[in-house]
Amino acid sequence: MSKALLAVDSVRYRHGPDSPEAVAGVSLRVDPGEVVGLIGPNAAGKSTLARIACGLLRPSHGSVRLRGDEALALHRRERARRVAFLSQDEPADLPFTAREVALMGRAPHLGLWALEATGDRALAAAALAEADALDLADRPVAQLSGGERQRVFLARVFAQDAALLVLDEPTAALDLAHQVMLVAAVRRRAQRGRGALLVLHDLALAGAACDRLALLRAGRMLAEGRSLDVLRPDLLGEAYGTQVDVVPDPATGQPLVAPRIPR
Amino acid sequence: MNRSAAARAVLALLALVPLVVVAAAVGLSLGAGNVSLGAALRGVDPDATVLFRLRVPRVVLAAVVGAGLSVAGVALQALLRNPLADPFVFGLSGGAAIGAALSVAVTGTVLGAAGISAAGWLGLLPTQLAAVAGALAAAVLVFTLGRARGRLHPERALLVGVVFNSFASALVIALESVLAPEKTQAVLLWLAGTLGYEPEPVLLAAGAVVLAAAAVLTALAGRLNLLALGDEGAAALGVDVEATRIICFFAASAAVGAAVALTGLVGFVGLVVPHAVRLVAGPDHRVVLPASALGGAAFLILADAIARVLFRGLGTEPPVGAVTALLGAPLFVLLLRRRT
Repeated sequence: MSKALLAVDSVRYRHGPDSPEAVAGVSLRVDPGEVVGLIGPNAAGKSTLARIACGLLRPSHGSVRLRGDEALALHRRERARRVAFLSQDEPADLPFTAREVALMGRAPHLGLWALEATGDRALAAAALAEADALDLADRPVAQLSGGERQRVFLARVFAQDAALLVLDEPTAALDLAHQVMLVAAVRRRAQRGRGALLVLHDLALAGAACDRLALLRAGRMLAEGRSLDVLRPDLLGEAYGTQVDVVPDPATGQPLVAPRIPR
Repeated sequence: MNRSAAARAVLALLALVPLVVVAAAVGLSLGAGNVSLGAALRGVDPDATVLFRLRVPRVVLAAVVGAGLSVAGVALQALLRNPLADPFVFGLSGGAAIGAALSVAVTGTVLGAAGISAAGWLGLLPTQLAAVAGALAAAVLVFTLGRARGRLHPERALLVGVVFNSFASALVIALESVLAPEKTQAVLLWLAGTLGYEPEPVLLAAGAVVLAAAAVLTALAGRLNLLALGDEGAAALGVDVEATRIICFFAASAAVGAAVALTGLVGFVGLVVPHAVRLVAGPDHRVVLPASALGGAAFLILADAIARVLFRGLGTEPPVGAVTALLGAPLFVLLLRRRT
């Protein structure tokens, strides 16, 4: 069996000595070819778990392996070649152009003076095209709209060319067409033996985009499995503390999730 | 502007080297009395002495200080993610002022005599030695107080630096009130940034320090770009944020220390040159750092030449620090307006 792109084993983490555990013993795995969705209410520990998976936070217990190697023991640059991370709050006021930001994704691959070669520039341009941001290439990121900026940061993550993508709410600022574009791009990568861990709030999108879902609540794994097994009214109701209807999409059979809004 | 960083850096340097050459030519040809280049090259005095003993060292001094302050300014602005950071922001100006004022205060005592011999051994004046010692001590103090839980927090260090500079100026004013006015006057004028005539070994050593700092910072330029993404964003791209900060901090402090030792506190260069370069060349530090080194050198050579010429009639020279601000502020506003 090939090595998992990501193997998180019973990790625990607290943000400060006096704060409660944000992640309280969670295990998670992303295999080559897999797109895994991380869902759950606010403050469930999704973003913290995503950072732990990237080696950006050091768990107090448990281990994180990237392709079999302990994430925190890897050299930083090697780690950045294995996993790319998109944060929920990327900076808005960057003076750099979209192309320069996409090229930043090449940083873990560059040498001493951090000068990129023609190949790096081609990869950055391809990444911009994949994120539908090629027409923004020469504009400063600070002048772009929120959704455009998000596409530029996605291009940076694509250009990083890591086997595993960890994207924290990648669709938050995107319109419908670009959400579809993002999912398609991530799935294309999965078909080539890569993988992704996506933190998502849109449950229907999560069900449609991901091979497996992991439902977190209060730092613990409430359910994990195929989307049909996780997107159940009883589980979601328990996790979010509100009534939820789940109906199969008449066209695809995918679960559609609708909160019941009192009026 | 779809050119690689290397190509843009080369372009910027190709544009700036001639500027430095022109500035140096202006700096060498201006001064009290005319010098014949032909005569000087043939070794005829007084032309040869004036050119090689006075004007060449002076131009080299201005170039070294201008380059050092400019690269330090770029580095600290990137480090703090604050465009207002200048080379002295980490308490270096306050530390230099305290050192210089103390050196005057102890003149004539045993400590003063010890200071004179130590400084003489290094080829410096006691005030210079005291100023650079004060500046570097302040940098270490601010660095130490800016750390918490084993990490350097730039915002914290910035606050400590600003507070320390205020504290230092209060201390200097208090010292002034007890010292003889003519003594403090001289020191304060020197502190305002004065180019003089330094012995060759001192000049060479300072030049080497500035060159090394510029090289280290340019090698870190790619990482400084990534710091704009935030600590976490940079770390996710393989940057050791803490190590980058520490190396940058000390490289910048070394360059500033060398500049302070030679000239006191020349203000504005480290602020205006990086911004002027960014307005023309964009934000990429792989271009901005080397370009600022050359731009800073040219800028200070010209400022010094102007200081010497404009005030020749009065038989005096203003501190070059005053000229850099007088010259730099309007130039900067002009650039800013043309850009937008």
